[in-house]
Order: sequence, then C-alpha cells, then structure tokens
Amino acid sequence: MSEKQKDQDLSRRDFMSIATAGSAALGAGLILGQPQTAFAAPAASKSAGHAAIPPGWANAFQPAATAPLYPPRQAPKMGEKIHEFDIELGISIHEIVPGIKIHAFTYNGTYPGPEIRVPEGDWVLVNFTNRTSEFHTIHWHGIILANEMDGVPNGTQWGVGPNQTFKYLFRAQPAGTHFYHCHNMTNLHVQAGMFGSLIIEPKEDLVQRVFPYKREYTLLLSEVDTVMVEKQMEEMLRMMTTMEKMNESPKLMKEMNGRMMGWFMNKKAFLDAVKAGYIPPYVAANTGRNAIPNFNFFLINGKAYPMTEELFIRSGENIRVRLIGAGAMPHYMHLHGHDFWHVCQDGSPLQSPVRLNTIPIFPGTTSDIIIQGTNPGMWHFHDHSDLASTNNGLFPGGMMTMVMYEDAAEHGVKVPEIVQVNS
Amino acid sequence: MKLFSRSLLTLGLSLLICSKAAFAVQAQPVPIPEDPSVSPQINISGVGLGTVGYDKNGEVQSGKGNVNFSDSALQIGGAQKLYEGGGVGSFGMGWLTIDESNKGTTSPFFLHQAFLDYQDEKYEALVGRSDNLNAHLVDFPTLRGDDLITLTNPLNPFSNGKNVEEHRYANVAAFTLNQNLKYFENIHAQHLINSADPNADTGLNSFGVTFQYLGAPGLESFERLPSWGFGYERINVNSKSSSGVNQAILGGIVNLNESVVNRLELGLQNIYTWGSDLRSFSTITDTFEADSNAVAASIRYLHTPFGRPAYQVSLTTGYKNYSKVSDANSYGVALTGVKRLGHGFDVVAQYQGQWRTSTLSTAQSQGLGYEQRAEIGFAFNFDATFNEHIALRRTLLNQQHHYISD
Repeated sequence: MSEKQKDQDLSRRDFMSIATAGSAALGAGLILGQPQTAFAAPAASKSAGHAAIPPGWANAFQPAATAPLYPPRQAPKMGEKIHEFDIELGISIHEIVPGIKIHAFTYNGTYPGPEIRVPEGDWVLVNFTNRTSEFHTIHWHGIILANEMDGVPNGTQWGVGPNQTFKYLFRAQPAGTHFYHCHNMTNLHVQAGMFGSLIIEPKEDLVQRVFPYKREYTLLLSEVDTVMVEKQMEEMLRMMTTMEKMNESPKLMKEMNGRMMGWFMNKKAFLDAVKAGYIPPYVAANTGRNAIPNFNFFLINGKAYPMTEELFIRSGENIRVRLIGAGAMPHYMHLHGHDFWHVCQDGSPLQSPVRLNTIPIFPGTTSDIIIQGTNPGMWHFHDHSDLASTNNGLFPGGMMTMVMYEDAAEHGVKVPEIVQVNS
Repeated sequence: MKLFSRSLLTLGLSLLICSKAAFAVQAQPVPIPEDPSVSPQINISGVGLGTVGYDKNGEVQSGKGNVNFSDSALQIGGAQKLYEGGGVGSFGMGWLTIDESNKGTTSPFFLHQAFLDYQDEKYEALVGRSDNLNAHLVDFPTLRGDDLITLTNPLNPFSNGKNVEEHRYANVAAFTLNQNLKYFENIHAQHLINSADPNADTGLNSFGVTFQYLGAPGLESFERLPSWGFGYERINVNSKSSSGVNQAILGGIVNLNESVVNRLELGLQNIYTWGSDLRSFSTITDTFEADSNAVAASIRYLHTPFGRPAYQVSLTTGYKNYSKVSDANSYGVALTGVKRLGHGFDVVAQYQGQWRTSTLSTAQSQGLGYEQRAEIGFAFNFDATFNEHIALRRTLLNQQHHYISD
C-alpha cells in the first residue's frame, strides 16, 4: 500500500471513529454529528486503533488527502479491470410533464443520460459518439484524471464533431457521488439534457457501515428555460449544419474562419480581430435569444412534479439519497417531517455527519444524505426556494417529490395519493 | 420593404390579443370572456423606412425632391397554445404607411393585416386581411414592396389605382396543408379590395390555389432552388368586357453560388393573365384587368463575411406587355443597395425607373412616358416577443427531429 493509500484510509477511519463515538452516546442523538442510535451501524471495530483520537477538525485534518489514490496519467496494466460504456448522443423529444415537450440532446436517448456506476480504482472506457451536427464533449465532474480526458472543448480536447467518436479513459477515483456533463456551450447543453450521474463505489462503504441501507436513490437537480433551449438549439443546428456543409466543399472551406465561429487561436488573435472590426456576438447577440435564461421548469432526473419519481422507504429503514447539482441554480432540498443526515459532500464522507432538514445543493456539488424511516407517512421532499416548486410559474410543480412509506397504512397513516397540478 | 429578410410576415404569425384584465377596458365584447390569468405570447414588429429622393417623371415635368416614409409598418399580435392537438391560435394586426404621405390630406396608414390564424403541424387556416396569397410567391429585393409593382405583382382588377397596397393585400380565407413544413398547398377565397366601384358588392371575388416549396430554413445557401412555387387565380370581375379573368403565376429563387459569404441569387417570376376582352384602356383599372404577360427577374448579391450581413446589392427588372391592347408595353428597373450599420439598422439607396408606351402611360401614369426616382435613406427593423412560450413552426428541429408544436 502506498503512502497515499494509507492517508486515504486514515481519513476514513477517522470518519468511522466519530460515528462510533456517536453510537456510544446513546440518547444524545440531537448533538450535531451524532447519528441516532436506533439506526447506528454496528460499532466499528475498536481494533481500528483510533478510538482514542479526539474528534475534531484539527486532529482529523490530512493535508495530503486530496492527492489522487492512483496516478492520473497512468495507463491501464494487464489484468486491471476496464468497464467499457458506449454513449451515443442524439436529438430526441423529451417530455418534462404532460403537455411540455422540448427537443433535447440525449445521451443514449435519455434525459438525463444513463448512470455510470463502477468500483473505485477500476478503469472506465467511454466510447462517446456524437450523432448531432454540433460539437460536444463529456466532462467528468469531480474525477481526478489525465488532463486530456477532462472533456473541455478547445481546452483539453477539440469538441467531438458530427459522427466522431472520442474515447474517454480514466481511472475511477475518488470514490463517491459524481456526475458528468457536456462542457461545450454548457449553459445550453446541460439544460438540453447532457448530464448524468457517475457513481464510484468505494472499496469500503463507510456510509453503509454506519447507516446500513439497501435502497438508494440518485436525484439529479437541474432547471430549464424551455424557450431558450428550443431557440438556441435551432440556432446552433443551423450554424453547425452550415459548417458541416462547408466542410464538404473545398471552396466553402476557404470561406470558413474563426471569426464566423467566434474561435480564436489566443487572446491576442481575439483582440486583433476586434481592432480590425470584429464585433463579438455578446455586443449585439446574434445567436438566438439574447436574454439571460428565464428558467420555467425545475427538474429532478429530467422530470418536474408531478412526474418526478417517488422515494420509497419503510419504517426503520435507511435510504441513501445522492443529490447532484447538475444545473445552474442552487437548490435547497427540504424534507417534511424528518431530519436527515448529511454524510458525504462532493463524493467524500464528511468527518462527521450533519443533521439537517434542508440541505443546499449548489451548482456542481453533490451531497449524499441518509433518510431514516422514523415517521411513517407521505412526505414532501422539495426545493424550498419556492420559485423552483412551480411549473411555468404555477405552484405546485418543479423540483418536488415524495418520500413514501410503503408501510404507512400499517402505522395508521392513510393519506391518499393526490396529484395536484394547480393550487 | 424587403431587405435581408423575406418579409415581416415570415417572422411569425405572432400576434396580439387585447386581453381583458380585471377593471381594464376591454377592446371589444367577445363571445366568451377570456380568462385574464393566461396571457398570450405578444409580438411587436416593425419596419421604419425613410428616404430623401429626387423624382423625374416624363419630359414635361420638372424634377422634384421629396421625403418618403411609405412602406414603414408596425405589426402587433398575440398567440396562444390551444387545448388539444398541439395547435396555436393567433391574431395579428398591422398598418403600413402609404404613398399618400406627402399629400397630408388622407390617411397615411393602410390596414394591411387583421387576421385570425390557426395552425398545427399539418394545417393552417387563416381568415381576415392579409397578404394576397399570390403576391408573395417571390419577394423581389427592391426597397419597398410596391416598387415596380405593376411588373412584379399580380394586379387587382377592382382597384382604382390610387393605393398600390390593394394589389398586395386582400381579405382572405385560406387553408394550407403542408408536408414536413417544406411543401405547402393552399386553397383560398379572397375579396380583392374594390375601390374602383365601392358601391358594388363583389363579395368573394377571387378564388385560387397555390403551391410553394420552401427549403430548409437558414440553409438557403446550399440549395439550388431554395424556394419556388406556382399558383392560379380566378377573379370574377364581371365587367362589361369579361365575366372573369385568370391569373397564372410561376416563380422561384435560383441559388447561383453555393456560398455562405457571397450569396448570389436569381429571382424569376412570370404572371400570365387571360380571359378579358379588353382591347383598349379607358381607366387605370382596365390596365389591371386586361390580358397580359409580366416577366420579372432580379439578381441579388449579399455579402455575409462572418455569419452576419454586411451589404447587399440587387438589380430588379421587369417587362410587361398586353396581348390584346396595342402600344401598351412597359418595362422597369431598380438598382438597390443596402449597407448594414448595426443589428436591424441599414443605410439604403435605390434608383428605379419605369417606362411605358403611350397607350399604357395615358391610362396608368397620367401620360408620363417614364417615372424615375433616386433616393437614399435609412431602414430599421425589429421584432420583439414578450411572454414567449411558442416556438417557431418552420424550424430545422421540427423538420429533422420530429415536430413539437410548443
């Protein structure tokens, strides 16, 4: 085991030792950082040898903990496991709620794209084929990988053009909840559906040990301006179809230049072009709608309430919920009738679980929570930024779902399921 | 006004509704009071066109300068998604300034749009004042829509000739079927505006069909024939010289240079009119009815260096002769230049001239053998949408990736 691996393990043991301490403090469940005893995992082995370390940030701090477990630029070796995925991008029609459809960029035809789930340390090979006329990439958000695999167009790679295939190869690290998304025209393409979850299963799931769970849910939170998506996708389709046709003709290729696309070799070339009369499009926008996005639908896994998927639980059960801020706005997910444990942030276990009933999910972040089946019923779980609980400005809707106890009736709770689309 | 865009109307059937709000004044009583909480999509578009020019009409008249702001237009509209079938309902209303503007004695405005429209993926139905459906098969790149109109437009035999817009616009009831938003078949009935004999109730006085092909929107540079079509019109003139006249029109755009930066287009159109027994002209209206053949052609060069229009130069010509009336030929030419200064704002210049032989000039242009005008000015166009929630209909997305009405 390398030193880096030891550091990583030490960090995790600290997390466990804190959990163990919480388990021992029966009846003090309201103390921040201590899970309720009824759902505490079996006590971690004292043989871990760190029970004596006092809890606290100063003692648990590991300066080298952000270093990758595996060298990012290492190539696969014989015998190492490679998980291969084919992802094809196309344009599909996606229905957000009945009556609201948009044209969407879809990975393998779904909005959001398929979940990728691999064990930590294994290799991931993604064959990404672009079947649209536009340029796209896949950025592996939160993954520590080789620079060339990071998926930034005109940065770490050229955008993947029409009918081209790009092979992304990286090692699955660090463990935890991550996601992927297109990094070209991100504001438009993510709204149009180009994102998905990337779950790297740790070799040792500390959350599982502390909060044993069998069911888990991944909620990708995002928002969309349906008018902007439709208009800008059309503009992009026209522009890129034009470019594609120009590529087919030597004569037309001579007409193509960076100024047409807004691409320049470097900052100096851009400034020189401006001096020569080039007017950047943001001065007088000429591509589609020029207003700031006006989000009108707020989505959980691509759907708005009442079409969001429910989370099911039973009394006494723990469920793990992975919350991913895939969009451009912060969201404040609030669970009725419960507190829950915030156990991981951006993939990594917290040094101490945090007890909350509302958790902010900022763009680009992931938070894992444990919901404990302590209060049978049908409970709302929604963004408490009320704007996001609407569909086209009408409440209820948007980023809202239900935590539903499968055994609610057994506990005398008889709340009928009512689909409400207008308050 | 026809500059870079085909016309204001193609920008959308995006139209206005005067919604009733609580305690607000209602425009007019409606059969079912509208739900004030559901606001439609609102669109306002306009064209401003002002030029200073010099006219020289015939040998006997001295030249004179003038300021012309005709063909400026303002259009407002509203559109609403419908309950079922993905349809969109809309209403539009618009006015344009006319050539009477220099006289100051009559209304300078002409109501050129006031229509209701229903459309879904396959069908469109329109009722009200709108474009004469055969008049816009080819939009020639002259400065104003009525430049060289007697050579480029099918003419209205009910017009007294004082307002040329009566050739371009009519009261229309039309139904259009399309295939993949490329092929459009239209059947319509029209009331061509009757100013020649206002006391005569001519009712629906014109019936016709048109077919039009429109290529992929935004990709006109890559198609040899980005748009073309033909139409037939039966007009119930019911005058002493004929019981009806027929108009056949054929036209289209030919792309001469497959280029994004240097677009070069040829516009061609032929209008053939037959069925009238007129063998002489006693009024200008007779010149709109008599059997004739009009051929028009234009060549348009548009320079678009970085995906944005920079300037345009075009030459439009036309020739017309009357088959049963002797010494009644005419021809015209318009040389037009447009330089784009900013988004929607252009400096424009044009020379146009039209010549008529004596029989025709007597009836049509007060005996003037020719009319010439040189002018220079500015043009501005805009299109603003509020409460936007209805996407355009004829898009690449809808054509290539399944249709979404909303």
